[in-house]
Amino acid sequence: MTPGGKALAEFVAEATEILDALGRDLLALDEARGQEADPEHINGIFRAAHSLKGLSGLFGQERISQLAHAAEDLLDRLRLGRLTLDDKVLDTLVDALDTFQALLGEASRSEEGQELTQRTRAMEDRMARLGSPPPAVEEDPLERLELDGTVRAVFTEYEEHRLRENVRRGVSLWRVRAAFDLTDFDQGLADLNARLKPLGEVISTLPSSRPGGANGIAFDLIFGAKVDARALEAGLKGTPAELAPLSVRPPLEATDTEVLPPLGADEEEEGDDEGLVETTSLATVSSPPLGSPPRMRAVTPPATVVGLQAAASAPIPAGRPKSEETSMRSLTQTVRVDIGRLDGLINMVGELLLIKANLQRLAETSGQDGTVALSKLFGQELSRETRQLERKLEALQEGLLEARMVPVGQVFDKLARLVRKIAREAGKEIDFVSSGGEVELDKLIVEELSDPLMHLIRNAIDHGAEGPESRLSAGKPRRAVVRLRAEQKGNHVVISVSDDGSGIDEVRVREVALARGLVTPPQVSEMTRRELLNLIFLPGFSTRSSVSALSGRGVGLDVVKNNLGNLSGIIDVWSERGKGTAFHLTLPVTLAIVRALVVGVSGRTYAVPLNSVLEILSVQPRDIRTVERREVLDLRGQTLPFLRLSRLFHLPEREVNRHFVVVVGLAQQRLGIAVDELFGQQDIVTKPLGGRLSGVKGISGATDLGNRRTVLVLDVAELLEEGIAQERRRA
Amino acid sequence: MSRFEALLDAFFYRPDEDVSGLLDFAAGSDGLAQPLLEEEPVEYLAFRLESECYAVPILAVREICKVPLLTEIPRAEPQLLGVMNLRGELLPVYDVKLRLRLADAPPVVAGPDAGLPPRAARILVLKTEDGPAGVWVDSVAGVVRLKPSMVELSPAGLRGDRDCVAGLGRKGSQLYILLDPEQALAP
Repeated sequence: MTPGGKALAEFVAEATEILDALGRDLLALDEARGQEADPEHINGIFRAAHSLKGLSGLFGQERISQLAHAAEDLLDRLRLGRLTLDDKVLDTLVDALDTFQALLGEASRSEEGQELTQRTRAMEDRMARLGSPPPAVEEDPLERLELDGTVRAVFTEYEEHRLRENVRRGVSLWRVRAAFDLTDFDQGLADLNARLKPLGEVISTLPSSRPGGANGIAFDLIFGAKVDARALEAGLKGTPAELAPLSVRPPLEATDTEVLPPLGADEEEEGDDEGLVETTSLATVSSPPLGSPPRMRAVTPPATVVGLQAAASAPIPAGRPKSEETSMRSLTQTVRVDIGRLDGLINMVGELLLIKANLQRLAETSGQDGTVALSKLFGQELSRETRQLERKLEALQEGLLEARMVPVGQVFDKLARLVRKIAREAGKEIDFVSSGGEVELDKLIVEELSDPLMHLIRNAIDHGAEGPESRLSAGKPRRAVVRLRAEQKGNHVVISVSDDGSGIDEVRVREVALARGLVTPPQVSEMTRRELLNLIFLPGFSTRSSVSALSGRGVGLDVVKNNLGNLSGIIDVWSERGKGTAFHLTLPVTLAIVRALVVGVSGRTYAVPLNSVLEILSVQPRDIRTVERREVLDLRGQTLPFLRLSRLFHLPEREVNRHFVVVVGLAQQRLGIAVDELFGQQDIVTKPLGGRLSGVKGISGATDLGNRRTVLVLDVAELLEEGIAQERRRA
Repeated sequence: MSRFEALLDAFFYRPDEDVSGLLDFAAGSDGLAQPLLEEEPVEYLAFRLESECYAVPILAVREICKVPLLTEIPRAEPQLLGVMNLRGELLPVYDVKLRLRLADAPPVVAGPDAGLPPRAARILVLKTEDGPAGVWVDSVAGVVRLKPSMVELSPAGLRGDRDCVAGLGRKGSQLYILLDPEQALAP
């Protein structure tokens, strides 16, 4: 693949999807030739062209970007009613779609043919020249609508156009007023919209002039109903919506045969007086009926659909001017797979690994004389084949794991959108900088990350960043910076959320922790600054005395910490007064298959994920020192906390003349775990304990090592925590 | 209703007695016995713990299996014997004898010091709200059909929070202690 080949492949995949969507809407329009076009479809095409423009601009695909720009212009005129959708326009759009396909085909081969460039130019010209003005309208139908001028003034051009259309067609118009609670108005509004959609067209959603209660917000929806008043009322039962009809004066001369009497007009009552003022315009005559153009040429719909996904190198469809090469082969090689299926495959690989381990054992025993009566040659053959199998299995496993990897950028993008909203609500000026979005993580981990990250970013904006004024007086730039960064470090990915705000006040942390009874005074007096900062992860801790809508309900960082714990991750905090705060999240790259060290303690077998094992030491009992009654080891001049797994797990301790110490580490923390035996390494598929056993500490799951015996997998993050907490208790 | 039955009812019926055997006999002797038998019997799975006979609704039982190798969970509650691997599924296995005060200490059945499980011992895999869970039983007695009239439910008010005995069932001379699986396995 060429450099940037991956980016190109991504572009082609996404552009193909956009063109697919565009084609679907175009097809719908095409099928309804000669009828009133559904604004949803025109809007859909407009949005597709717009996204295509942005996307191709981003990837430096000039030709596609320019053509998309021209198409967007044309569609915008259509959408606003400055251009009627006639056959010429429709044909142009269909041709444009073909041109897009051809361009995308060349782009995917990194070519730029002269001929196609010219064709693109011609296409752009053709689109720019299109523009039969819409039939002259002598009376603006809007003038007939009894709607306050101030309300009309806030309509966008598009909304105004849709309203005009609806009035002209004599659709009964309603004002739907609904008040929602501030906390979940977006949900309520979405529900209402979903209810309204099948009943007609929501033309505009405006904040209501009437306040919606103490902590509520009210909206006025201007709605063009396809059904009568009774059906509308029935359809809205159970929502907080109140209906008020918007009355429309009949056209001054009743020449317009197309204007239907407003549906349910007999039930019309006097509308709410506020906001509805009779217009005084004396304009005449409504628009003439829109002549339905004859259905000229049926573009065979299925062919169009196929064409949408077609590659450029393809046979020539007959009858298309300047015919294109199209084929059934799709441009993109991407397949979307449910993560559940990948999980199933990974499990299958797990089983295969067990079988392989059994085979390997067989091969080994057959090599030793006497145990099994086999020829030497056969034994050698068997070992060779087993090694082959091992290599293939490793490749299979690697491939599967790779298939699960997605860039963390997926979450970052979502968060970036959120930041603007939060900053606005909090009244802060924030610059959001994210980097490392290309770092890849297991899909499941990425999914689980969005909530904790959102929480941390909310905290950074809400608690970390100061308001613009206090920043200026502290001699900092007016705008605060919130950074989100991902970085791969060996088998782990470190994601950090940092701000350049006021930092965490550890004195305040200590006071709060004491006040809430989370720690005792003697405990606190011995704590280092770092340990004090870590108190913010305790359940029920929140330093802000006032609860804000965004964060600070007291369930916060402890939940973040737990969520990360479930992903075998660890969270660390750094903060300096006046300089800022940073949270570092250390996560494994995948949870699906891990290489593990199999150890024995008091006759039990446990597995330790190898990605957190730093080294293994052999230690004589006399090397164990005690510092303030806690056991430590001296590791190359550094003090290493020492944890006897048998003691922690209340297992019968055995007298040994030397300990194996597995040194584990995550982020900055290190711990030496003493075990009795080492059995070697193995790839394991961890099954979570889950359900009834989710409360078990220090165990992240269980696995099967091939001898039909379930082996528990140690949760290194939790053990590290316990090891350190134990120190704190003893101190 | 046959005269025979009416007489039986009037003279021999005691609420704590089961007359189903006699009624079955009567049903054989004349064909009119049905109206009284409309009570739907419920099937229970009966099993032994120590010397007592217990039963759970059979619909709560997913399967019965021999005792596999159990892996103990360090620092778990005492009634959790360990986890087992059932066709790739990880299941917790509980001992309900502690809660029923049939034993003072959980048996050592998991880990390296565990001996071979008794031949008759089985694990009942029960369906519960928190997912499937295994329960150690000393032996499985079989399926019993109990009509509601044979079951004496413990009055709800008298049952403590942790009381896992839902009632008593009688069939002939045999007494069945009916277990509430949810309560018995509650943490």
